[in-house]
Amino acid sequence: MSWLYERISTAILEGDSDKTADLVKKALDEGLPAKEVLDNGMVAGMSEVGARFKVGEMFVPDVLVSADSMQAGLNVLRPYLISSGVKLLGKIVMGTVKGDLHDIGKNLVNMMCEGAGFEVIDIGFDVDPQQFVDAIKEHQPDVVGMSAMLTTTMRAMAHTIKAIEESGLRTTVKIMVGGASVDAAFAERIGADGYGSNAPSGVDLAKRLAGVA
Amino acid sequence: MRANYRVNSGVRFQMLSDDQLQELLNGVLHVLEYTGLDVYHDEAREILEKAGARVDGLRVRLPPYLVKRSLEMAPRSFTLGARDGNAKHNIQIGPGRAHFGPGPTCPSFIDVDTLERRPYVKSDVPIVAKVVDALPNIDFCESLGTVSDVQHKLGALYEFAGMFPNTNKPIVARSHDRFDLAGIHEIAVAEAGGQAAFEKRPNYVHCSEPPSPLVSTFEALDKLLFAARHRVPLIFAPCPVAGGTAPVTAAGIVIQGAAESWMGLTLAQIVQPGLPFIVGGVYSVMGMSSMIPAYGAPELVLMMAGISELSHYAGLPVWQTGGCTDAKTFDEQAIIEGSLSVLISALTGGDLCHDVGYTESAMTGSVLQLVAMDEAIGYSRRISRGIEVNEDTLAVDVIHSVGPNGHYLRQAHTRRYFRNEFWYPNLCDRRNYEEWSMMGKTTMKDRTVARVRDILATHRPSPLKPVTEKVIEKVLAEAEERVKKE
Repeated sequence: MSWLYERISTAILEGDSDKTADLVKKALDEGLPAKEVLDNGMVAGMSEVGARFKVGEMFVPDVLVSADSMQAGLNVLRPYLISSGVKLLGKIVMGTVKGDLHDIGKNLVNMMCEGAGFEVIDIGFDVDPQQFVDAIKEHQPDVVGMSAMLTTTMRAMAHTIKAIEESGLRTTVKIMVGGASVDAAFAERIGADGYGSNAPSGVDLAKRLAGVA
Repeated sequence: MRANYRVNSGVRFQMLSDDQLQELLNGVLHVLEYTGLDVYHDEAREILEKAGARVDGLRVRLPPYLVKRSLEMAPRSFTLGARDGNAKHNIQIGPGRAHFGPGPTCPSFIDVDTLERRPYVKSDVPIVAKVVDALPNIDFCESLGTVSDVQHKLGALYEFAGMFPNTNKPIVARSHDRFDLAGIHEIAVAEAGGQAAFEKRPNYVHCSEPPSPLVSTFEALDKLLFAARHRVPLIFAPCPVAGGTAPVTAAGIVIQGAAESWMGLTLAQIVQPGLPFIVGGVYSVMGMSSMIPAYGAPELVLMMAGISELSHYAGLPVWQTGGCTDAKTFDEQAIIEGSLSVLISALTGGDLCHDVGYTESAMTGSVLQLVAMDEAIGYSRRISRGIEVNEDTLAVDVIHSVGPNGHYLRQAHTRRYFRNEFWYPNLCDRRNYEEWSMMGKTTMKDRTVARVRDILATHRPSPLKPVTEKVIEKVLAEAEERVKKE
């Protein structure tokens, strides 16, 4: 295996975006396959980030710069991945539910899911149930993510899941929920497939639900 | 460039005004001049008399000029050295620097395996020293007990011999008399690399506690003289109990306790000018029905703040008290009493705060209490560090660049500061319910016991020099011979 993979992993671990992009370009110039650059270099680096986060050696601000570096590398890699027909980890449709204007938490999850190798379609905030249904029809995601910050808006998650069920699409997607007011018991009660308590655990959850963990 | 700009570094705590402190200081000088102390040591009385003290039988009275001169001579700042020279474990005594450590002489100990109370034995000493060595917020070592399974005159010597190899943090040593103190000193000097090297970087402090009220015993002064002549930094600190062996009022106990320490100070500075000398002690209240001196009372915290402020006003470092409790077990009372005294001790800048890990009013030493208090000290140190104000910490530019509805998690400013601005708990739990539940729903006590056992299973203190190990064997053998002959 090329020594470049390890250097790409390290650049991502250190959160050095410029270096990551340079190294990915160098790897491609040397003719290394895009899929292997992704798996052995970039995803390996982000996995290490996740492992260190779990044991308390890295914190959210560190994970975010690593995710930024992952993005920087992906921007270089993406055309090669598309031309060689390689699929990303999976597709996620993500939105903050109706009545809720809080999208910082959702944006963090998006960024970190992209960093982990997902394609993320962000449908914004104050998204009503029908818009979720339409987005599922249009993008055919593996996972749908919903966010709510407020105890007054978390019920909209239940309404959205009901709308997805009624549209007949519930079996085609896994649903994950998160946000300050939500907990695992609530997620189960409304029929979601999983709950993430913070952005990095949201990434783990998405991987599990997409069957790539 | 700023002009007329004042910076407060850390949280400021001040109980007494300069006027009040001057009144207390005058009170101490008055007691020493007119009442005096009974001094049960012939040579000490001679030395003091020759220097200008008035001696009448056992009673020694000190003219204020003599006391003031000794206050001038004693240093406010000095360094205690880590045994192995690791500067991280040095203690820099000086204004605004609070340090913490256990206490001595508890008859009982909480067994770390059974968690039951039983007599303190020789094999407990390395346990306490290893835990002290591993804890980030414990700065010096004491044994947390009196060894019950050796000849009683040799308990303190065995404690030192057990602590010294198991921690490189400076040790506060006790002794029974000048003979075992000589043994302790021989061990410390061997490791330091000779008397001259020891004097530059003393790796232990000697502590003795003269009884209240107003007595300097033969043993206390005999050890003080030995230590002073060998330039061993000294703690000379009584344990007056308000309403019993000292006045019932906080101001009164502070005056009497200071007078008791300053008699020793005056003697020590005559014998060894400039000797590092620490005053203070345990000042507390007597249970007016139980007659037990309280270790978790708010008055202890107040009285210790009082003697700290008076000592600092007079230019002396203080032997503070905190992290201790009257509770019999590791419970909510133990944590409330321990944490509050630790916080105030940190805020007073108590130079060496001892008795961390005392439970049952100093009758039982507990490494569980010690480990829990390590957490409380870390917490308190974050508070006493205060808020730093400068161009960068004001963050006006960062606020502008993030703006409404943004977030700060990706800012370089956040990454630059979040590790130092925030305190990260070791034992306190801040996880959400699901994670806490998944990790076994542990209580503070569960996590504390686990930490103690983890330290004992994994922590390896830095080794002694081989020559010192030989000296320890020799000193212990000689001491056993000596007490056999008596």
